[in-house]
Amino acid sequence: MAKWGMVIDLDRCTACQACSVACKVENNVPFGTRKEWAYDRAPVWQRVLGVVESQSGKMKAHFYPRPCMHCENPPCVQVCPVQATYKDEEGIVQQDYQRCIGCRYCMAACPYGVRVFNWSRPSFEETHASYINPATQTRPRPVGVVEKCTFCIQRIQQAKARAKAEGRPLQDGDVQTACQQTCPASAISFGDLDDPASRVSQLAQSRRAFRLLEELGTEPKVYYLSEG
Amino acid sequence: MSIRVTRRTFLKASGATVGGVAALRLFGGTRPIFEALGKSRVQAAEVEKWVPNVCLQCPAGCGILVKTVNGRAVKIEGNPLHPINAGTLCPKGQSGLQFLYDPDRIKGPLKRVGPRGAGQWQEVSWDQAIGEVAARLKDLRQQSEAHKLVFLSGRNRGQMGGFIGRFLKAFGSPNDVGHSSICEDGSPQAHYLTQGFKAYAGYDWFNTNYILCFGGGFVEAWRPTTLLLRSFGHVRRGRPVRAKIVQVDTRFSISAARADEWISVKPGTDGALALGIAHVIIKEGLYDRKFVEEHTFGFEAWTDDHGEKHLGWKDLVLQKYSPEWASQVTGVPVETIVRVAREFATTKPAIAAGARGSSMQTNGVFNRMAIHALNALVGSIDVPGGVTVQKGPPLSADPGVVQDDISKKGAAQPRIDWAGTKRYPMAGKVYQNIPEFATGQGPYEAQALFTYYTNPLFSVPDVARFHKAIEKIPLIVTFSPFMDETSHMADYVLPDDSYLERWQDDVIYPSLGYPAVGLRQPVVDRLYNTRNTPDVLIQLARAIGGTVADSFAWESWLDYLKFKYRGVWEYGQKSGRGTIQATTFEAWWDEFSRQGAWADPPYAFGEWKRVLPTLSGRFEFFSQKLEHTFEDLHMTEQDIAALKLEARGDELFMPHYEPIRYAGDPAQYPLHLNTYKLMTHAEGRGANVPWLQELHGVHLAHRNTRWSTWVELHPDTAAQLGINDGDEVWVESQVGRIKTVAAIFAGARPDVVNIPFENGHTAYGRWAKDRGANPNWVLVNEADLLGGLAAFFSTRVRIYKA
Repeated sequence: MAKWGMVIDLDRCTACQACSVACKVENNVPFGTRKEWAYDRAPVWQRVLGVVESQSGKMKAHFYPRPCMHCENPPCVQVCPVQATYKDEEGIVQQDYQRCIGCRYCMAACPYGVRVFNWSRPSFEETHASYINPATQTRPRPVGVVEKCTFCIQRIQQAKARAKAEGRPLQDGDVQTACQQTCPASAISFGDLDDPASRVSQLAQSRRAFRLLEELGTEPKVYYLSEG
Repeated sequence: MSIRVTRRTFLKASGATVGGVAALRLFGGTRPIFEALGKSRVQAAEVEKWVPNVCLQCPAGCGILVKTVNGRAVKIEGNPLHPINAGTLCPKGQSGLQFLYDPDRIKGPLKRVGPRGAGQWQEVSWDQAIGEVAARLKDLRQQSEAHKLVFLSGRNRGQMGGFIGRFLKAFGSPNDVGHSSICEDGSPQAHYLTQGFKAYAGYDWFNTNYILCFGGGFVEAWRPTTLLLRSFGHVRRGRPVRAKIVQVDTRFSISAARADEWISVKPGTDGALALGIAHVIIKEGLYDRKFVEEHTFGFEAWTDDHGEKHLGWKDLVLQKYSPEWASQVTGVPVETIVRVAREFATTKPAIAAGARGSSMQTNGVFNRMAIHALNALVGSIDVPGGVTVQKGPPLSADPGVVQDDISKKGAAQPRIDWAGTKRYPMAGKVYQNIPEFATGQGPYEAQALFTYYTNPLFSVPDVARFHKAIEKIPLIVTFSPFMDETSHMADYVLPDDSYLERWQDDVIYPSLGYPAVGLRQPVVDRLYNTRNTPDVLIQLARAIGGTVADSFAWESWLDYLKFKYRGVWEYGQKSGRGTIQATTFEAWWDEFSRQGAWADPPYAFGEWKRVLPTLSGRFEFFSQKLEHTFEDLHMTEQDIAALKLEARGDELFMPHYEPIRYAGDPAQYPLHLNTYKLMTHAEGRGANVPWLQELHGVHLAHRNTRWSTWVELHPDTAAQLGINDGDEVWVESQVGRIKTVAAIFAGARPDVVNIPFENGHTAYGRWAKDRGANPNWVLVNEADLLGGLAAFFSTRVRIYKA
């Protein structure tokens, strides 16, 4: 059984935000309107965050793509009153849109702010509906539910099916998330953290590796790399 | 490790959540996601196809694979076989589906029926549209006014530029006006004058150890975008030795942020910095003596054929451009100049590159010559990790254009933009100068204007000039798929296919060195009654008839493409080279369509004759080309003074510093205006792509910059002016003012304010119209007169609360 994890190399990242758009196209996430952005309600699953500031006269900048951390110890799961969000056997924190009652406790609990609430029904204006991607076997996402990054679970399933059809075990590199596939600087890696030979396992051992807000004990499965 | 994200920086980046409830209106006519999903998901697996194409969200020419399901395009990925992007894609490329499926695309040919700009259109058939436009063009020819047809074009990919040129030559007009004079023409001209090739340079980014970038958005707004981003990742962590990147910029851009060092310079003084660096390298003897001796001309003092003695560049630099002088001009500390010079000369291979920030200035050509001279100084010309000269694909040669007397006479007329004359000696075109005819300063009046992939009523400095001029043109035809500002004023709109619906080749932007091309082909059936513009040109030529038609003997554009690429197949047959081999051309073309790309690696370094095609066959620190051009044009002292050049004598023909000219009285307009590009900007054509609109301004976490324009002010400047973050402000220059929102940004220089260029459309569809402000309305139409370059960064402004 795999334990899926991601490593994002901030030394490679150029803050281009290709990951954000690739995620949207892959997972049928509609664009956020200006108003939604103004209220911080824009639906974005893989958002690039940035801080640019002057520190004692010297300019500093930090940019980091922020998907769901798929915590080993996810605070969102603990607070969900209806078990709509749960950690599956491969460590992916999933969201059951049918169960979700839209209370948004999970959003309050998530220290990373990765969850978004569908204030309106995800919809695509006129001809924009033509590009809806049927590969993403997400259930219909109605208004009033919470959604978030799934680690491109549909791609994991497709990769498994492909490996099975070819009569071989799943190999490291078989699964590519949409954000990883598009990343021009090859900043994103994805794979099985339980497989000591996998690229992500090795990168996670790097002395450059760290996780966001590690002190909270959430044990995120997204690692960042940075020279400091 | 200090970069560790602390709770504080993390919360800051996340943006404080704003409270309040907004009932979001559901649009009329929207389709909920599950309805559309429910219909198609069942049979998805059976009808899935991946079709190769080439992205056209910018001219980088990245290969793409488009996934279609039931004839709908649903996902775009990078094509792993394309050497530019190798399977990856930038955000612009990812969002291409919103270009294809924009609800505001023009659905068929339109003819204006109301007054110009009133938006009253009649849908007409292609036959009618082409017939009527051809009749007007025929009239022009009969009245011996063929030369008064002006064809403006922008993103001419592959054979398209040549095809437009062919059309104009056959028709009889010299006015083939590409947009490079408002794009980045300074670099090709600098390469031409020093190294003899008139094109952008390729750079071996992956193998370099030191990148000194002057005013180019290395990781955000340069080309080929994806290749640059890939190389960035590679030189950072993909190899044992990490390259150092130094960004010279007037603003703490994302490129500056991702570089190892940001050197903040006064606008337009990049050339002075380069010369200060050259001074240190020469003085300390750090230059590549072997290369300079074997492959350069004019470094040491020299004597010409008439026995006349000339100043060497070395002496010029040593005499005039000390680091102390450069520091005074640029505002960069002397120690920094000396240190960077030593690093640059000793961390080989090193690249000195530049783009708009250094080239689109009143001194752009000489700035870029000075920067490029650094490459020659350290021997980075045509070596691994240095500068390369791009090779083109071995295409079949065009048959000659058939011209009748009218065509010959028309094509021999002077250009309407004065390019290549005493007014703009080195310019090939001066796009922003077209409006001059309207005030009687042109050689003649424009009678017809065609635009392809360009939108002058949005993109030129001092847009108002163009708006006034265009009213005087009797016939305006645009080929835009969208109702942009120029189409809005047009008489006919002949809508182009989107790039996902048409055949087109795409020769890569100079970069890899070796030849590479991609192929566009229809990914989906045409959504609307649109046509591929080159096909329309063939049809127009036929409708005009005579020798014009004779010059376009191909059945269709696709036939023409196949004719051209037969040459590539033949080359492969003869040499055994290239990534596709086939015994017949048909098989070759099928494979080309299947792979979507063809390339002929590797690049051969050291072909000196090819990479140094100057008169001396050497890199020229003294540009004989420039000297000869001046001689040919009989440039007098008065003419040179009219170009506002200060240098005289030998210095004039060498990389030197021309003092930057700013537009606007400093007492009235104390601040410099910098208009810059964002990664999500798609070169000014991305405003109708919501996925890009919603990502603008990732560097400004504290403001809602999405879907908008803003002006960045240094905190001290803002405090001085009493402006707070989020205030509505006027940005005013001597030609106009625009209203936008202030964003306090520590990365702004105190003397420069920055506005991103992209928004502020008055047309261009529902996603673009009436959002933000277009800084081109306040830019003064200044220029580098030598090269005809629009100076985009010369304008001074003042800012006050609205």
